[in-house]
Amino acid sequence: MSLKHLNILLADDDPDDCLFFKEALNGLVLTTHLAIVTNGEHLMELLMGDISPRPDVLFLDLNMPRKNGFECLSEIKLSPMLQLLPVIVFSTSFEQEVVNLLYQNGATYFIRKPSEFPLFKKIIQHTVAFIAKKEQTTSTEEDFVITSKSL
Amino acid sequence: MATKNDSEKLINAIQELAFEKKERKKLVAELVIANKEILFHKEEKSKRAEELVIANKELAFQKVEKGKRADELGIANIELAYQDEEKGKRATELGIANIELAYQDEEKGKRAKELGIANTEKGKRAAELGIANIELAYQDEEKGKRAEELIIANKELIFQNKEKEKRAAELGIANKELAFQNELKEKKAEELIIANKELAFQNELKEKRAEELIIANKELAFQNEEKEKRAAELIIANKELAFQNEEKEKRAAELGIANKELAFQNELKEKKAEELIIANKELAFQNEEKEKRAAELIIANKELAFQNEEKGKRAAELIIANEELAFQNEEKEKRAEELSNANKELLAFTYISSHDLQEPLRKIQTFASIILEKEKLTENGKYNFERMQLSARRMQLLIDDLLAFSRIATIELKFEKTELSKIVDEVKAELKDTIYEKQATIEATELCVANIIPFQFRQLMYNLISNSLKFSQPDLPCHITVKSRILKGSKLNYEKLSPEKIYCHITVKDNGIGFEPHFSERIFGVFQKLHGKEVYAGTGIGLAIVKKIVENHNGFITATSELKKGATFDIYIPAN
Repeated sequence: MSLKHLNILLADDDPDDCLFFKEALNGLVLTTHLAIVTNGEHLMELLMGDISPRPDVLFLDLNMPRKNGFECLSEIKLSPMLQLLPVIVFSTSFEQEVVNLLYQNGATYFIRKPSEFPLFKKIIQHTVAFIAKKEQTTSTEEDFVITSKSL
Repeated sequence: MATKNDSEKLINAIQELAFEKKERKKLVAELVIANKEILFHKEEKSKRAEELVIANKELAFQKVEKGKRADELGIANIELAYQDEEKGKRATELGIANIELAYQDEEKGKRAKELGIANTEKGKRAAELGIANIELAYQDEEKGKRAEELIIANKELIFQNKEKEKRAAELGIANKELAFQNELKEKKAEELIIANKELAFQNELKEKRAEELIIANKELAFQNEEKEKRAAELIIANKELAFQNEEKEKRAAELGIANKELAFQNELKEKKAEELIIANKELAFQNEEKEKRAAELIIANKELAFQNEEKGKRAAELIIANEELAFQNEEKEKRAEELSNANKELLAFTYISSHDLQEPLRKIQTFASIILEKEKLTENGKYNFERMQLSARRMQLLIDDLLAFSRIATIELKFEKTELSKIVDEVKAELKDTIYEKQATIEATELCVANIIPFQFRQLMYNLISNSLKFSQPDLPCHITVKSRILKGSKLNYEKLSPEKIYCHITVKDNGIGFEPHFSERIFGVFQKLHGKEVYAGTGIGLAIVKKIVENHNGFITATSELKKGATFDIYIPAN
C-alpha cells in the first residue's frame, strides 16, 4: 500500500512547535492534509467522533494540558476503532524508561525533537514518507526511536 | 174301719217314734261329738297354754342368753378398746423407733463425713455401724413379730364379730316368729276371752316383754353396728401399720446397701491413704534434697544480689547515658529527616527544572537554524549566530548531563547478576565510531559476573571508556584495559573495605594524558574540569555520575594517575 495523499493529525499545545511542524511538511513529494488539536481532551473527542477526513497518522506530543500524551495513547490503543491508527510520539526530552513504556503501550515511533530545524524537517519528512509507504504500521524495539543517526 | 185307721195311726206313731228315736240318737251323737270337740278345744287350749309357758320359758332363757351375750360383747369391746390402746402404744413405739432410725441415719451421715476426713477413724466407725445395723435388723424383726401378733388379734376380732352377727341374725328370726305367734295368740285369746282372761293377761305381759325384747334387740343391733364400724377402723389401722412396716423394711434394705457402699469406699480410701503415705515418704526425701539445694542457692543468691546491686548502679548510670544518647539520636534523626527531605526536594527540583529548561533552549536553536538557513546575513552576523547556537547546544549538553545525574539518584535500584563483558561489549558498540576515529584498542578479557544495576553500570562504563578515549595522547594509539576479579576485602589494597567481605574489583586503565595525583579526589566532583572547554569538550559531570553509580552499588572508586602516564580507575563493589 502506497499513499499519494496523507491525512496528518498533530496534537501539540505549543504554537511554535506547530509552526515548525507545518514548515517541515513543505517540499514533500506527496500531498498532505494537516489538522491540529492543542489538548488531549479535544484530541480524543475528535477521534471518537466523526472527524473528516479520518487521519492516516497521529503525531502526538507527550506534554499537553488536560490530558497528556500517555493517557491519549492508552485510550487509542484500547479502542477497537482507533487501535490501528499509527501514533508517532514526540518530545523534547529523552528518557529510556519513558520510551520503553511508550513502546509497550503500542506507539509506532518515538521522535526526540531536534534543536536543528533542518534535522527536524528531515526527520518529519522521512517519517511521513515511511508511514505512507509502509504496509504494516508497527516497529521493532530497535527502530522504535527515530534519530538523525537512524535515517 | 177304725182299727185300720188306728193301726195306721199306730204305725205312723211308731214310725214317728222311731224317727224321733233316730233323731235323738243323732242329737246324742252330735252332743257327744260337740263334747268331744269341746274337750278337744280344751285340750288344745291347755296344750297351747303349755306351749306358751314353754315359749315364755324359752324367751326368758333367750333374755338370759342375750344378757350373757351383751356381757360378752361388753367384755369383747373392753378387750377391743384395750387392743386399740395397745396398737396406739405400738404405733407410738414405732414412731419413736422411726425417729431413732432417722437419728441413726443422721448419725450415719455424720459418721460418713467424719470418715472422709480421718481415714484411721473410719475402720472403727464402720464396725460401730455394723453393730448398729445388727441392732436395727433385730428391731425390725421385733416389729415384724408385733405386726404378726396384731394380725392374729385382728383375725380373732373379725371372727368374734362374725359370730355376733350370726347370733343377732338368729335373734331377729326368733323375734319375728314370736311376733307371729303373738298375733295368733291374740286372735285365739279374743276367741277365748272368757276362758282365757288369765291367758290374755299373761299375753299382755308377754307382749310387754316382747316389746322390751325388741328394744333390747334394737340396742344390740346398734351396738353391733358400732362394733362393726370399729372393726372396719381397726382393719384400716392394721393396713396402715402393715404399709408402715413395709416402708421401714425398704428403708432398712436401702440402709444396708448404703452401708455396703460406704464399706467399699472405705476400702478405696484406705488404699489411697497407703499410696499417699508412700508418696509422702518420697516427697519428704525430695524436700530434704531441695532444702540442701535451697541452702546452696541462698548462698549463690546472696552473691548474685551483690552483683545485681553493682549492676543496678551501673544500669542507673547507663540509663542516664542512654537517655542522653536517645535525645541526641532523636535530634540526629530529626536533622537526618530534614536533610533527606531537602535532598529529595533538590533532586526533584533539578529533574523538573532541567526537563522544562530544555524546551525554550531547543526553540532558540531551532529559530537560529531557521534564520541561518533562510535569511541573508553578513559573515559577521552568521558567525555570531553560530556562536549563539554553540552556546545553546552547550547549555543543552549541561542540562542533559544534569538530568542524567539526578536520574541516577532518583531511579529505583534493581540489582541483577550480569556478565561485565556484556556491558563492555554494548559500550564498545555504542562508541564504535570514536574507537575507530582514535585507532583505539580495548582489552577486556578478564571479566567476571557482578551483582549490579545493569542500566547504571552501562552508563558508568560508557563514561569511563569515553573519558579514556577523549583524554588519549595525540601521538600514542589509545589502549584501554578493563579487568575484574572477586576477592576478600583483606586481600585488596584499599583501607575502606571490610576485611571479611567479598568484593568485585573492576579496573579501567588507559595510556592517556593522565592528571596530577592531587586531582585524584577533585575529578569526581560535579562540574569539575581540569581542561578548558576549547581543548576538551564536556560538562564535568561524567565522573560525578560514575561516582554516584558506584555509591548506588554500595562501593568505592579511586583514581590514580600521573601526568602523561595514563590513568587507572579502581572500583570495588560488594560481590553479593
